[in-house]
Amino acid sequence: MNDLHVAVTGLHAADNPAPGIGVIRSLKAAGDWNGTIIGLAYDVYDTGIYDPDLLDATYLVPYPNQGMDEVFARLMYVHEQARIDVLIPTLDSELGLYRKLASRLREAGIRMFIPDDEMMRARAKSNLVQFCEENGIPTPDTFVLRELGSLDDAIEKIGYPLWVKGVFYDAYLCRTRDDVLRSVEKLRVTWGLPVLLQRSISGEEFDVCALAKRGELVGALPIRKTRVTEKGKAWAAVSLRNPELAELSAKTLSALGWSGPCELEIMQEARTKKLYLLEINPRFPAWIYLGAGAEQNLPRVLLELALGNEVEPLPPAKSGVGFVRHATDLICPLAYLEALTVGGELHHPGTHRRQS
Amino acid sequence: MAVKFTNDVTLSKSGFLFDHASGQTYTLNPTGQFIFRLLEQGEESERVLPQIVAEFNVSESTARKDLDDFLRQLHELGITE
Repeated sequence: MNDLHVAVTGLHAADNPAPGIGVIRSLKAAGDWNGTIIGLAYDVYDTGIYDPDLLDATYLVPYPNQGMDEVFARLMYVHEQARIDVLIPTLDSELGLYRKLASRLREAGIRMFIPDDEMMRARAKSNLVQFCEENGIPTPDTFVLRELGSLDDAIEKIGYPLWVKGVFYDAYLCRTRDDVLRSVEKLRVTWGLPVLLQRSISGEEFDVCALAKRGELVGALPIRKTRVTEKGKAWAAVSLRNPELAELSAKTLSALGWSGPCELEIMQEARTKKLYLLEINPRFPAWIYLGAGAEQNLPRVLLELALGNEVEPLPPAKSGVGFVRHATDLICPLAYLEALTVGGELHHPGTHRRQS
Repeated sequence: MAVKFTNDVTLSKSGFLFDHASGQTYTLNPTGQFIFRLLEQGEESERVLPQIVAEFNVSESTARKDLDDFLRQLHELGITE
């Protein structure tokens, strides 16, 4: 991996950490890493900027809603300054934009390995039930509420307790009609309709981070979260060896013809032991660094796929490897803030700048 | 009859038991470890009983109660069928 320049987004690791830092640490943990990491930050206080030895350079980039051309122009500036060989977007909210920019970026010499629009649509929360039904994949009963007049029909169909979920973020467990009304309204105001009503499965939740190419699994890392935050984000977890999880993951990604990284959220019902697919997130999870310890360094493999190289599927992940997330304080040099605020970029010690 | 394990499990020397499929962990006391290792080797539960009596110098009724309790817990936890 000679002098590869990799740009990564999602550098803010607060109570709901973005995956970028885990992706970068995974790349740097690979034995053959000899490249340059370019952080693409949205804010001068994105926490990863201040993590010593993580980044070679940081550039502020516009938020996706500021427009495709603005983002593209900024990426081209970064490319001229620092050269980007591979770009790894790690946030759900960016993927649509990067999908649209893929061909322009490729022409400029910037490669990515992300799912296409059709795959993204099929796994969208509002379409997942249909996809699962068509492909014989178990998922909890779900009602896609597109207008408020159908609310009582939805409640009758799903029954209590049920989850009210936004199509992008947030979920609330509801046990009464009043709970449902409040939750639907909260989500409608924030994200708009549709809102999903989903049967609550009582049991154990598992996650699988996977990387696939045209529906074939290249690697998979199943985990059980052993500590979670109030929002259900993993604060500690352990890797598993579970053939049933592997089978469900392979079947799902094959049916999607998936290319790219993803995180599958799976629930095992306590009473029946049956597995249900809850969600598919189309990017690496924030806990991806665990893979570096569990012989499943998926970001490292993604680089090969982005570059168009052939890759053999990895052997199964090593089970019984755990992680604990550790929140700490980083010293935040004023010069960093100054450089980013005034110039929009920061060159950490040892930066490789493109020679003209 | 030999006890059949449902999941892939590993018992360390310290008595720490890890279920590779579920990620659950348990701690076994010395009696539990002794029984578990015999079951793991495919020993039938009836043949485990006299070995508990001999190893821990307890009566057969005490050993049987401990063995039955332990087997029930393994089953309830989904570790054995």
